[in-house]
Amino acid sequence: MSAGGEPAVAGGAVAPNKIIAFGILGGLIGIYAAHFLDSMISPVFSFMGALGAICAIVWGADAVRRVCSYGLGTGVPSIGMLALGMGVVASMFGLAVGGIAGPIIAFVSAAIIGLIIGVLANKVLGMNIPIMEQSMVEIAGAGALTIVGLSTTMAGTFMFEEVLTFVIAPGYIAVIFIAGGMGILHPFNACLGPDEHQDRTLTLGFEKGGIAMVIAGLVSAVAGSAAMLPTIMIGVFIWYTSFAKFYELTKRDSYKILGSGLLPSEEELQ
Amino acid sequence: MIDVVSILSANILYVVLITLGGMLISLSVHFVPVGGAPAAMAQATGIGTGTVQLAAGAGLTGLVTAGAVMAVSDSLPLILAAGAVGAMIMMSVTMLVGAWVYTYGVGVPPASAKIKYDPITKDRQDLYVSQGTEGHGLPTVSYVSGVIGGLLGGIGGALVYYSLMSTSTGLTMTNLIGLASIFAVGIFFVNAVIPSYNIGGTIEGFHDPKFKKWPKAVFSSFIATFLSALVGVLAIGGL
Repeated sequence: MSAGGEPAVAGGAVAPNKIIAFGILGGLIGIYAAHFLDSMISPVFSFMGALGAICAIVWGADAVRRVCSYGLGTGVPSIGMLALGMGVVASMFGLAVGGIAGPIIAFVSAAIIGLIIGVLANKVLGMNIPIMEQSMVEIAGAGALTIVGLSTTMAGTFMFEEVLTFVIAPGYIAVIFIAGGMGILHPFNACLGPDEHQDRTLTLGFEKGGIAMVIAGLVSAVAGSAAMLPTIMIGVFIWYTSFAKFYELTKRDSYKILGSGLLPSEEELQ
Repeated sequence: MIDVVSILSANILYVVLITLGGMLISLSVHFVPVGGAPAAMAQATGIGTGTVQLAAGAGLTGLVTAGAVMAVSDSLPLILAAGAVGAMIMMSVTMLVGAWVYTYGVGVPPASAKIKYDPITKDRQDLYVSQGTEGHGLPTVSYVSGVIGGLLGGIGGALVYYSLMSTSTGLTMTNLIGLASIFAVGIFFVNAVIPSYNIGGTIEGFHDPKFKKWPKAVFSSFIATFLSALVGVLAIGGL
C-alpha cells in the first residue's frame, strides 16, 4: 500500500513537516496518477485517487491533533466540519475552473480560505492559539485534497463534467463530505486524553481512510471509467491492516485489559 | 479561462445576498441554546450537543424545505419563509424532545444559572439549579431563543441556496441543484463553526452574557462568506 508505512515509533515522533509533505505530495500524486493512468492505461487505476485521499486524511488528522491540543473551547468535530466546509467550497471551485490544474487550484484556494479563517479566529475572535493560522491552512488543504481524491476515485477522473455527473448531481458528494470529515476529525476525537499517542491516532486515520475508500469503491460502480473491485479490495486491505494495528496499539497503551463478561443475570445478583 | 469580471458584474447581487445569508447564519448560532458535552450530562443549560450539529440539523432542514418550495415557486419571500419554518420546526422538535429527556429521564427541572429570573416567565431560576452545575434543561427563555435562532438560520440558509440557484449559468437543472446544495452546505458549516469558536462552545440564548460578543463572529463570517460567495458564484457562473 502506498500508505508510506504507519508511524511505528512509540510516543509519536514523526515531525509535522514530514506529515505535511506526505499529505500534500501523496495527495496530489495519487490524484494525478489516478487521472492519467485511468485515461491512458486502464480504469483499474482509479483507486489511486483514494490512496491520495488517505494521505490527505492522515495529514488532516495530524493537523487536528496539533491544533486541538491547545483546547478550542468546543468539540473536536467542529474543526473537522470546518475543514470539509472550506474544502468543499475550494475544491468545487478548483475543479470547475481549473481543468487539468484543478486539484492544484483547489488546494491553493483552500489554503487561502484557511489562512483567512485562521487569521480571523486569532485576531477577531481572540482565540490566541499560536499555530491557528498554519493549522487552518493545513486542515483546509487536507479537506480539499480528500474531497478531490475521493471524487476522482468515484468518477475515474477529476474533469468537472464527469465529477458533476457521477459525484455531485447524484448527491454522493454528501457521502464524501461526511466520510472525509470523519477521517479528519474522528482519530483525535476518539484518542484524545493524557495517554494520546501520535502513532495510535494516525493509525486510526488510516483506518477511517480505508472505510472512505471502500465507500468510494462502491459508488464508482456507476461510473464507466472507474473500476469498483480493485478500490474495494485495496480499501478493505488498508482497513483491516490499520484496524489490527490500531487494536494492537490500543492494547499497548492501555494499563490493563480485563474481560468484564456479560451483565449478570437476575439470579446471579441475588 | 473564465471571464471573471463579466460573471461577477452580472451576479454581484447574489454575492451580496450570499454574504448576508452567511452573516445571518452566524448570528443565528448565538441564539441557539448549545450546551455541549456538559449539557449532555445535565450540568449546563441547553441542548446536549455541539453548535455544528445543531446548526447543521436545523439549517439543512431549512435548505430542504426551501429547496422543495423553490421547485414550485420563484417568489423570494416564500422561499425564505419556507426555509425559516423548516429550521424553526427542526429546532423546536429537538429542544422539545431534549426537554422531555432532561425532565422525565434525567429528572432535573429546567433552570439557568446565568440569570436570577427568566426574562420571559419571570420564574425564579437560582433556587432550582443543582449544586456544582451551570444549570440544566431548557428554561422558557432558552427555548424561545432557540426558535429565533432557527428563524434566522433558516432564512440565512435559504438565502444562500436561492442566490446560488439564481446565478446565471449554463448548467442543467439537476447538476445546478447538486452543486448549489453542496456549496450551500459548505458555506453553512463554515458559518456555524466561526460563532461556535466565538462563544467558546456553549451559550444559553440571548440572555447569556456571551451573546454580546456576536458582532465579532458576524464580522468574521462577513469576510469568510464574502470569499466563499465569490468562489461559489465564479464556479457556478463560469460553467
